[in-house]
Amino acid sequence: MEMEAAKFLAAGLAIALGTLGPGIGLGMIGSNMLSGIARNPDASGAMFTNMILIAGLTEAVAIYALIVSILLIFVA
Amino acid sequence: MAKKKGCLGCSLPVAIILVVLVLAAVIVGLLAGPLGRAFNIEGLPSWLTLDTPHIKLPADTIFTLFGLPVTNTLLATWLTIIVLSLLFWFGFRKPKMVPGRLQSALEAALGWIYDLCVTTAGEKDGRRFFPFVSTLFLFIITSAWMALIPGFASILVHFKGGGSAELLRSTGTDLSTTLALALITFFTVEIIGFKRLGFGYLGKFFQFGGLARGFKMLFSKKTRGKAVMEIFTGVITAFTGLLELVSEFVRIISLSFRLFGNMLAGEILLLMMAFLIPYFLPLPFYGLELLVGFIQALVFASLAILYLSVAVMPHKAEH
Repeated sequence: MEMEAAKFLAAGLAIALGTLGPGIGLGMIGSNMLSGIARNPDASGAMFTNMILIAGLTEAVAIYALIVSILLIFVA
Repeated sequence: MAKKKGCLGCSLPVAIILVVLVLAAVIVGLLAGPLGRAFNIEGLPSWLTLDTPHIKLPADTIFTLFGLPVTNTLLATWLTIIVLSLLFWFGFRKPKMVPGRLQSALEAALGWIYDLCVTTAGEKDGRRFFPFVSTLFLFIITSAWMALIPGFASILVHFKGGGSAELLRSTGTDLSTTLALALITFFTVEIIGFKRLGFGYLGKFFQFGGLARGFKMLFSKKTRGKAVMEIFTGVITAFTGLLELVSEFVRIISLSFRLFGNMLAGEILLLMMAFLIPYFLPLPFYGLELLVGFIQALVFASLAILYLSVAVMPHKAEH
């Protein structure tokens, strides 16, 4: 396989497999947040701030995969 | 009070005209862009056609100052510093007990960050770490939101040898800036940890006490039976300590790449959306970028205060 084809294939594969885990993780964060609000609506402010923080951390893992993909296309 | 007319405050004919205009702009934009090129529409005026956007990863040097290159992201950083300084200078120039609009807005923002610090690190430590964390938060959010102002990245600089670059570019899209922020955070955490705990700070990472105790227990006949268990847990504890040491250094990479990736992905997303659908439809993505800028600033600042509060926690002596 030529270099160009391999690069693009690797870039697509990197982002596709890399966002699998964080997608599931973000869904789990959201669902737990919703059940937390359902149980205790008064504490939803604090829960929301924490959820945003943890969602940002999980999203970062998907961003790492995106960085690898961008690096493959534009730099490598 | 007069009754509000029609929808969105306009009378019905005006509303219908606005909707038709927006739809016309959207359809013209779609047909003129690359989506319309699939239908082979020829002969469009030159002000409607766009060439493919060129995504640049490293920041371009605009000029050199005393031999050091000044990139467009550095210019944007200087602009962020000037804007933030002017904002706070005007807000707190003549502080009043009953604050005016700007002062109360800035006080609300600072109070919110102060609540975040104190909730994570406690009252005394939260106060002590508040300037650092609030600087991080305000710098990142200002630099992220300033890049969304229309026209920010539209001023082009043409170089003498050909080629052109934007004069200003979002600060977070340069890995140098985010790496600098991550390194500053890392060194601040470590230095404050050493200042607070002395060399006991290293005792958090090199926990060979359990292992040494286990080996000592091998020698006296009384405790020989429990020695193996003690050695086992000692090995695990030592390994965990070393893993924590490694994770301290991995923080630099995770902090810098999280901010860099989010800002770069946002810039590329807006560029691509504006290229594909030029009129009105990139607006939801602008909203997304506003949210992402705020969230990344919050995550960076929250992680900074979290690392600081963990670093000053004394290591509990285990038996």
